[in-house]
Amino acid sequence: MTPTKIDYKRELESASKGMILIHDPRLLIKLIVRSLVQKVHIQHAGMVLYDPDKDSYVLSISRGEIGERIPEGLIRFNKTNPLIKLFIQKEYKYIFENRHAIVAEDINKLLWKESVISNGNGIKQLLHNVSEQLPKLNAVACVPAYHHHMLMAILLLGEKRDGSRFGQEELNFFSALASDVAMAIRNAQLFEDLKREAERNRNLFIQTTIALGSAIEAKDTYTHGHTERVTKYALAIGRQMEASKTYNFPYKFFENLYIAGLLHDIGKIGVPETILSKKDKLTAEEYEIMKSHTNRGAEILSSLTGFEEVINGVKYHHERYDGKGYPVGLKGEDIPMIASIIAVADTFDAMTTDRPYRKGFSKEKAISEIKEYINKQFNHKPVDALVELFHKGDL
Amino acid sequence: MAKLLIVDDESDIREFARNFFRKRQIEVFVASGGRQALDIIAKENPDLILLDVRMEEMTGIEVLRELRKNSPSVKVIMVSGVEDEETIKEANTLGVIGYIHKPFILEELEKIVLAQLNN
Repeated sequence: MTPTKIDYKRELESASKGMILIHDPRLLIKLIVRSLVQKVHIQHAGMVLYDPDKDSYVLSISRGEIGERIPEGLIRFNKTNPLIKLFIQKEYKYIFENRHAIVAEDINKLLWKESVISNGNGIKQLLHNVSEQLPKLNAVACVPAYHHHMLMAILLLGEKRDGSRFGQEELNFFSALASDVAMAIRNAQLFEDLKREAERNRNLFIQTTIALGSAIEAKDTYTHGHTERVTKYALAIGRQMEASKTYNFPYKFFENLYIAGLLHDIGKIGVPETILSKKDKLTAEEYEIMKSHTNRGAEILSSLTGFEEVINGVKYHHERYDGKGYPVGLKGEDIPMIASIIAVADTFDAMTTDRPYRKGFSKEKAISEIKEYINKQFNHKPVDALVELFHKGDL
Repeated sequence: MAKLLIVDDESDIREFARNFFRKRQIEVFVASGGRQALDIIAKENPDLILLDVRMEEMTGIEVLRELRKNSPSVKVIMVSGVEDEETIKEANTLGVIGYIHKPFILEELEKIVLAQLNN
């Protein structure tokens, strides 16, 4: 049976499409190697991949019949391996001339080349070692895959089932495929690095926010743990509203809610301690200063870009549904939902924790109290969510 | 001819190792698990055993313990994908000549095995 002629150009195109569609390079390489075995009719095809963590190469993918294929992840190559050496050391570049692949049968011919003979024993020994290496890997040819001179992978090719030699067209095809593969691997690695970097930045940001939030607590001794609890309640309320579909939250809402929860009282940094920790009733003047923490908080955060929603939460968490709140006197649904949620969480925590001058309410009592103020102080949606959470035992 | 026994529950590894060492003039036996391995050891008295640590039926250490009862001096090299202190310690007290980590360098495995078989 003669194998059908392969349209290499088309195969290459479909491989390139794969690179775009499949983001996991291992999966992509698996597919490529499998289709090589099937379409080019070779007994074994394998891929040696660079492992940046170990700074060595591992035979990671291998397809073919039992006895031909090599267990994946079993064999490692370091930089003294003849194949790796041949492909990574610049002084051997001249051997390849315009070729991109090493074919076992050609190694003998290479040994008699003028440039090899005149180069002394080093290269001869290396080529000899390469020709000993190939059969161990059930390969008769191999193709290096570079990305910017960095050896990313080596494609191993076993014998063709019909025993014929690899033609130049085929080798060119493998070479083009290999460089696509190298690019896919490199892109995936860069993407991973970026993701890791973004994750690190995010963690740093969150930690900074937490540190900033706890700075307020250091000043305001009444409120130990308050920030953390308000944030926890606010997130729970939001999640509950989402679950019962009472509100359609925009993109990144919960991240903003989290940050806003941590920072909702940040403006208290500008309020004198004597006012913050005063046990007696505040004077009208003191109360005005206390109230200013909402605007102060918004001002502190105003220079941060992308913080609009967080600032809404910080600035308006003392607004009331009936319009009698501060600092602006917004009414009803004009109050951003992020602030309405924090308002409920804030009040619930204030009511349920002990203060020096009074004992905290039970959760049940606090909730029935808050329910009384629906449409006066509170938007009913977050209150409903709080009630649901309480009944589920999730508070 | 020197006798080598390969114990691994992955058939691809058994087949690859069998082919690889056969070409080097070694009589190769393979076992897919501990019971089969112990049978072959009793019957064939191999010169060297490559013993996988992580196996389903019996672990490599269990096989090693068992075979030490009747073959106190047979040479054993453990092969493993994980570095577990406990296992290495116990393998040492049970008298193994080496511990090879996967993925390994093929030439190193070859060198170790050939050196042991030529001794």
